[in-house]
Amino acid sequence: MSSSSDILQDDSALSRLDRLYFKLEEFFALLGGITILLLVFLAVTNVIGRWVFSLPVSGYIDWVEQSMAIFAFFGIAYCQRLGGHIRMDIVVSHIKGRWLWFCELSSTLIMLIITLALIYGSYLHFLRAYTNGDSSMDISLPIWPAKLVIPIALSVLAIRLILQIWGYSRAIINNCDSPVAVPLIEDAATQAAKEAATVAEKHGLNGEDESEGSIK
Amino acid sequence: MSSIANWFGTMDSINIGLIVSGFMLFMVIIGVRVAFAAATAGFVGLVWIFSAKLGFEKGLLVAMKMAGTIPHSKVTTISLSLIPTFILIGYLAYHAGLTKALFTAAKRWVGWLPGGLGVATVFSTAGFAAVSGASVATSAVFARIAIPEMLKVGYQKSFAAGVVAAGGTLASLIPPSAILVIYAIIVEQDVGVLLMAGLLPGIVSALIYAGLVIMMATINKDLGPPVRKYSWGERLESLPGTAPIFFVIGIIVICIYGGVGTPTEAGALGAFVILVMALRKGMRLGDLKEALIESAKLTVMIFTIIWGVLLYVRFLGFADLPTAFSDWITGLDQSPMITLVCILLAYAVLGMFMDAIGMLLLTLPITYPAVIALNGGVDVSAVDSAFGVSGVGCAIWFGIIAVKMCELCLITPPIGLNCFVVAGVRKDISVQEVFKGVTPFFAADVFTIAVLIAFPSIVLWLPSLLGI
Repeated sequence: MSSSSDILQDDSALSRLDRLYFKLEEFFALLGGITILLLVFLAVTNVIGRWVFSLPVSGYIDWVEQSMAIFAFFGIAYCQRLGGHIRMDIVVSHIKGRWLWFCELSSTLIMLIITLALIYGSYLHFLRAYTNGDSSMDISLPIWPAKLVIPIALSVLAIRLILQIWGYSRAIINNCDSPVAVPLIEDAATQAAKEAATVAEKHGLNGEDESEGSIK
Repeated sequence: MSSIANWFGTMDSINIGLIVSGFMLFMVIIGVRVAFAAATAGFVGLVWIFSAKLGFEKGLLVAMKMAGTIPHSKVTTISLSLIPTFILIGYLAYHAGLTKALFTAAKRWVGWLPGGLGVATVFSTAGFAAVSGASVATSAVFARIAIPEMLKVGYQKSFAAGVVAAGGTLASLIPPSAILVIYAIIVEQDVGVLLMAGLLPGIVSALIYAGLVIMMATINKDLGPPVRKYSWGERLESLPGTAPIFFVIGIIVICIYGGVGTPTEAGALGAFVILVMALRKGMRLGDLKEALIESAKLTVMIFTIIWGVLLYVRFLGFADLPTAFSDWITGLDQSPMITLVCILLAYAVLGMFMDAIGMLLLTLPITYPAVIALNGGVDVSAVDSAFGVSGVGCAIWFGIIAVKMCELCLITPPIGLNCFVVAGVRKDISVQEVFKGVTPFFAADVFTIAVLIAFPSIVLWLPSLLGI
């Protein structure tokens, strides 16, 4: 379901900014991943605590629900940078040159507009919780930090979208075939080959040299 | 200018629903990411509907406020927390060395059958599916492990490739399946129940595949000759490596079916065991970091689709479009079963041209209520219904069939991704050969879907034990 696209790079200001910003996005995604790991530990502790000592983690559901905003949103810009959000590219993959970049520019603009609207809406949602002092059901954790996660993550995404709009605009102006800092469209075969390559890498499987225990 | 505003303002909600849905389709076609196309359509629709009632400025503000609550409120619900745990299991399973162990064990147990290595491939992909929710990755892994062994003993290339491409599709039904979880959330059904419902159809699919392999290899002896018999000692020796898989399956079954834990807890226990296993196999910190980032990326992608589609669903509720569509469908002068088959065929055709999962999620808000209405409504009993399943049963049954349809799209030309993956891994096998090899399995899948439609009890038996 998920895929990553190639991102080209060069010495331009845009490309340097793209790579610098990618470090921030990766950091956010890693925070999301670490939260997933913590969720796993929390749930295991909860189960074992309940089975063995009849002592579940206090406020387990509250903690899980509050932490979900982090892994559900923090990686959103990282995923966009790598072209990981699913889409249908059977039409755009047949367009070339300026028309293609124009198409990509339009779709990125649409995404930017909805993202900006949602930043404002989710910020209001956070503000209400903050001013009212809303708290969770069980152990009364304040809810506003989790709600603040959404406008923050979406703002990171908005800046990424602006960078991509910059990238596509440059591609239209320069009329180039392979612009930097934006995900490029790949056909099914390339995508598949790459998926296969990452799997092989993870397995330490190279070519057909198959011996038992070759998995790293 | 004011006449245009009037025209916008006076349009009835169903027409607004149709226009906005058409706009969404247009966005999807020009390549807007599916989640954002759905969210944009939902937002634009809400603005339109509220503007018509309250004037543009006030309507815009109300729509923004309403849309702004959805990402947080729809995502931070406890039942969704199992998604990342299952995803993490999938990424860690690579490092835990489970795939190779599974194939070795399956080979030793069933390799002596006609087409034995093919059968072993089917069973080991099914086993791997129990820890991984991703079809494409499963095919990629087994193309590396199973195809070389099959070719070594003289299997036909297209046959070997077809088995692997088809075997990969099993991941979507056998729990943990990411698609089933998303389906459950969008149609507001119990996630655990849907996961359990997928198990039996998944096993049936695997058995049908295995039966097909044996049959083909028996009829045509050159297709897939058997390998030597292994002693019972060798067979038993191969089992410990696969233990984590059985542990994970056991945990999921005990937690969900036995009611001693939530699906999230089952997923977390599974992830924990696989993590320990992967660390023992020498997974480095860098690998763990990479697995965590990849898990976060896939998790975000899935959650973004969920809230994006739910924003669209919120708008559809205001537009009354699902009700109108249901009324139209139920008013058709033909048997409900024919209508259902037409809907499924439409999915099969659409799935040839676009990502099947995205397509399913975008259309569910409209097709799902229609299917429920066809069956006789939410509260109908099995006896009074059109398809012989109760209201809740129909929700589960349709989910399993729709997901199976999506999987079918992974092995149909022109964009059957599983086939491209196998051809991508094996440079010596062309995509055409894979598609040729997978054709009998395509037929088997159509047969399976027909069986599931004719006998809903295969889907509903396990959930019925849970009291559904």
